[in-house]
Amino acid sequence: SPSYLFFCFVFLQSTLAWSSLCRFSGNRSLHVTASCCKNRAARIRVGKGDRPVTYEQAHHPHHIAHRKGWLSQHTSNLKGEDRAAERTIEDVFIRRFVFGTFHGCLANEIVIKRRGNVLSVCAVMLQKLPPQKFYFLIGYTESLLSHFYKCPVKLEIQTLQDKAVYKYL
Amino acid sequence: MASLMSLRRELFSLARILSGVSHLVRFLLFFLMQITVTEEPDMLFQKVVILVKGHDRAVLDSYEFFATMAAKELGITIGKVFEPPKAIERLTLLKSIHIFKKHRVQYEMRTHYRCIELYNITGCTAQVYLEYIQRNLPEGVAMEVTKTAMEKIPDHILEPLWKEIPTDDKPSQ
Repeated sequence: SPSYLFFCFVFLQSTLAWSSLCRFSGNRSLHVTASCCKNRAARIRVGKGDRPVTYEQAHHPHHIAHRKGWLSQHTSNLKGEDRAAERTIEDVFIRRFVFGTFHGCLANEIVIKRRGNVLSVCAVMLQKLPPQKFYFLIGYTESLLSHFYKCPVKLEIQTLQDKAVYKYL
Repeated sequence: MASLMSLRRELFSLARILSGVSHLVRFLLFFLMQITVTEEPDMLFQKVVILVKGHDRAVLDSYEFFATMAAKELGITIGKVFEPPKAIERLTLLKSIHIFKKHRVQYEMRTHYRCIELYNITGCTAQVYLEYIQRNLPEGVAMEVTKTAMEKIPDHILEPLWKEIPTDDKPSQ
């Protein structure tokens, strides 16, 4: 148990100190982490409190599977499955494509789901464009991506007035 | 004829059992439109083992509930439903692109499993059940199916060989 170990350590330290003329008398110094030891991936640092941040952005990557879900759902990262790299490249391309096609309209990150042959891209958009333009862009994205990846691509869009803010950092 | 009778019996039992479950009825009505009748006898499976793998344990929980409920509705005898231990694959990579060998990042990929064993199931039922299960597999979940079929013992092994061949009493020269 940790308390027993701590007691042993303290006792040992005290006997050593007594034996070696009290050289190690329990001085504690300041320990500082080097800045290259800190993790900076996918984190928004705490600031003044004026920057709105969504639920996805507010939680750090070690919260995946605890407080966060997955943005890209496919089976190639499971044990005994292959073609993970191809799925990742497809995902990156789809994210950049959708980000560019619906420029400024995305409220949150895109969720990509693969079920059998069907690739379903789920996105939450802001109501910045008139609905006719939205429908045209959705059809354009779906047909272009289907021809590109040779599989049915479905786009599931939800729209919001403003971004869903979780907190201000 | 036996296959026709077995097919009809299956259909009747299915229609009777599933009168309360609308989703299954809709799927099976669609499936029943494409029935093919063959003369060859149906395959018999001693054991059908379905192993489902996924990253999310909650998804596998709900899928197990769905699969066991579907099997109960179809009248399939469920054997064991258990959870094999999860497999974690860990990687330790360099944190920086150029130097800083002492600073690394560790990632892990967890694969959770769920195993459902079904005993004494016919080929038609297995085909229908597996097709229903696989059409409703959630995204990010993989399935492996192992079937153990039962075959009739071939006639030439039924009797031991020394009984058929007449014994030669002549000593070998």
